[in-house]
Amino acid sequence: MECVTILKSTGKTARNIRELRAVIAFINDESLFHHTYQYFLKGHVLEYTNDFAHWVAESLEKRELSERLSCIDPFAFEDVSHLRQKLLQSIDDYIADFPEPRDAIPGAEFYFNETVTIVFPVGMWAKNLAEFLLAVRYVDPASIYYHFYEARIRHGTDDFSTWIENVLGSQELAKAICAIDPLMHNIEGIRAHIVEAVENDVRHDMEVIRP
Amino acid sequence: MISQYSGISPKGDLILLKRLGDKMRGKSFLHVNSTKAGGGVAEILHRMMPILDELGIQARWEVIEGDEQFFDITKKIHNALQGNHETITKKMWQHHFEVNKRNMETIQLDDVDAALIHDPQPAPLVEFKKSGRWIWRCHIDVSNPMKEVCDHLFRYCGKYDAAIFSVARFAKAMGIDEFIIPPSIDPIGEKNIELSGNEIHETLATFGIPIDRPIILQVSRFDRFKDPTGVIKAFRIARKYNDCILILAGSPATDDPEGELVLNEVKDYASGDPDIHILLLPPFSDRQINALQRIATVVLQKSLKEGFGLTVAEAMWKSKPVIGGAVGGIPLQIVHGVTGFLVYSVEGAAFRIRQFLNNPEMARRMGERGKEHVRQNFLITRQIRDYLSIWYALENCGKGTLGCNV
Repeated sequence: MECVTILKSTGKTARNIRELRAVIAFINDESLFHHTYQYFLKGHVLEYTNDFAHWVAESLEKRELSERLSCIDPFAFEDVSHLRQKLLQSIDDYIADFPEPRDAIPGAEFYFNETVTIVFPVGMWAKNLAEFLLAVRYVDPASIYYHFYEARIRHGTDDFSTWIENVLGSQELAKAICAIDPLMHNIEGIRAHIVEAVENDVRHDMEVIRP
Repeated sequence: MISQYSGISPKGDLILLKRLGDKMRGKSFLHVNSTKAGGGVAEILHRMMPILDELGIQARWEVIEGDEQFFDITKKIHNALQGNHETITKKMWQHHFEVNKRNMETIQLDDVDAALIHDPQPAPLVEFKKSGRWIWRCHIDVSNPMKEVCDHLFRYCGKYDAAIFSVARFAKAMGIDEFIIPPSIDPIGEKNIELSGNEIHETLATFGIPIDRPIILQVSRFDRFKDPTGVIKAFRIARKYNDCILILAGSPATDDPEGELVLNEVKDYASGDPDIHILLLPPFSDRQINALQRIATVVLQKSLKEGFGLTVAEAMWKSKPVIGGAVGGIPLQIVHGVTGFLVYSVEGAAFRIRQFLNNPEMARRMGERGKEHVRQNFLITRQIRDYLSIWYALENCGKGTLGCNV
């Protein structure tokens, strides 16, 4: 499967941290989802893990808050409302220490968006590890995103390790893929790590000297 | 035709296009704008129509006809939406509406399943809507418009089912669904296909441009918002230590009455400098522009206001290092320091030109990243995919739905 997202404006903006906090408190789940979970759809992830952290650092130059926000793992929460509480708590803690607001320059405000997501099959199947490896190398980044990131919202873990464990029965490989840090790579980085894990697993099997 | 994009466009885009085409087969999709030639909108529509057709969608492109007064008024509206102070009287707005009304005699609106109305010129057509989903497509930077002009125009726009802007910052609260879709380039169109070295050199010879030195290029309409004189200033600063030549190339657009005036200003400003080549190309000079972009060492789009600035994506597709004004859609294309450089001043542009000319390896690396960025985000297949996805979503997903399956 693969998903594409079409951006949709909510019409809400924030010029400073207090306004950001105020909008995060009431904006719909779809918008929070977009600015956090879907951050990894970007091709060039630099040093942040969500749009809020990115904006706070780049447009407000509030590095400390940016670090705190970047450390929030959206996949650690049961649902978006719990993530929302964590974001608000981080901002509140920061405002308690640094209450002076500072506005972004005009044009660099935070624009709250949401997305319409279209999910569709890409017509590719893997029946064994060799086919899986080929497919992972071949599919679009959006497909990797769908199965590695978005799957975590659907059932708590990525689709790849679930399939490898449940269908192929390879617990070690599933564990290796599960252990890839989702917040530290862009999608091409995730693809490279999965390929590496599968190749290591195959190499290990080939090199075992059986009695 | 779609098969020609195989191996160029992302695979998922092509698969989804086919699926959406199957869903929309036989339905009619009307596009209306105000010019057949010149500017990015006409260019995209020229390329988009045959693809929609091949998907089985009955695509139709109409151009509204207007008199000189109409285009003077719509140019003022355009400038006001981009932040210039303009006076648009009640009488002018009335003429704007009347010309649209007159166009109803020739534009067939019966049995329209979806209509995409491009920019302010034909926006009043929504008053004559008969059927289907109507979407207003705004290609202009409306981030800081003149309020009265914006309010007046948005009285029409609020009557559409949805609006599309190129950049999130441009979206306005109009009480309708507002989507963000960047425009695109066609990798197999005349402007972007591979050219032979011979053809490139012949083109340069035709224009009498030497190729013995690095070439700095800006391709754009002769419009003050594109800051052609700023480009000349930046070139003159960079040239102090770096022997190079500058090409400013652009085509006229029938809906831009100011073009000739600005061209003359730019010629005056260049004051016969033999290293500055100002080229007024006829419409549809796509291969010549392609050749200029392919031979260029550094490509600029130093706009002060910009709808999107597709010439940036065109240059990036040719793996060129790019420098762009940080306005409109340019920051979406240029990830600063990754796929090119964003600049805020003449001096900034001059500095980045010098940096590229003195670091060819960095220029090459950024050019390569830029091409991949364009492949994933700014090809025509992605744009058509997005238009059809919105149409499909408006009909099937409902408001606020997170996802829908195709």
